Amino acid sequence: MDLREEKVGGVTVVEVKGRVDSTTAPALGERLTASLEAPKVRVLLDLSRLEYISSAGFRILLLAAKRADEAGSRLVLCGVSGKVRQLFDLGGFLDLFTIVGSRDEGIAAAG
Amino acid sequence: MTTIDVTIVNRGGELARVAGLLDRLGAEHHLAPEMLADLQVALDEVLTNITEYAYTDKAEHEIHIRFEVLDNVLEAVIEDDGAPFNPLAIPGPDISKPLHERRVGGVGVHFVRSLMDEVAYDRAGERNRLVLRKRFKT
Repeated sequence: MDLREEKVGGVTVVEVKGRVDSTTAPALGERLTASLEAPKVRVLLDLSRLEYISSAGFRILLLAAKRADEAGSRLVLCGVSGKVRQLFDLGGFLDLFTIVGSRDEGIAAAG
Repeated sequence: MTTIDVTIVNRGGELARVAGLLDRLGAEHHLAPEMLADLQVALDEVLTNITEYAYTDKAEHEIHIRFEVLDNVLEAVIEDDGAPFNPLAIPGPDISKPLHERRVGGVGVHFVRSLMDEVAYDRAGERNRLVLRKRFKT
């Protein structure tokens, strides 16, 4: 898994590339914790280059969404397609996150 | 090579090695990435369950994994000497709850059952034996 972070306007965009499984999920967790540390921040998680995600990764995403909620921050996901979308659907996670299509839509939705 | 045998111990850092071996088998046999991803996810769930929950002592335990490419099936057999655990007997997760009440528990086993074409479990003596099968798409 590779993580790339950039600022677009007032939005922190975190791109996840590769695989999120029990080996790599902790690093994603650390990154999201750091990105969501300040209150009322806006974070866009771009999953368009994610190959797959196991339940260890979903645990991290759920925690991040709860933390964002509690801090009045906004966490938006984009690029959820193919295999990754199937996994979100199977786990019943599609309704738990704010999910938009493209990165541009995500920046607009998060901002 | 159509078979890979690997033995790991019940420590978290071992799973990357197993994933790497499955990748290698997949590349050698030109298996579809989608099929490999399904088995990688299922395997991550199974091995995480074993390393986190199967053992009540602090000792090191061996887990055996065998990957095999058969006629039209990719198979993984996982054997451990942990507490009896039949993933086929676990109820599915409650996916209707809102964010603040949701737990990931149960989702892993649900992934295994949904992503694989066949899952078989048996307990032989002191060992769990789980067989995961994914058929080739034609």
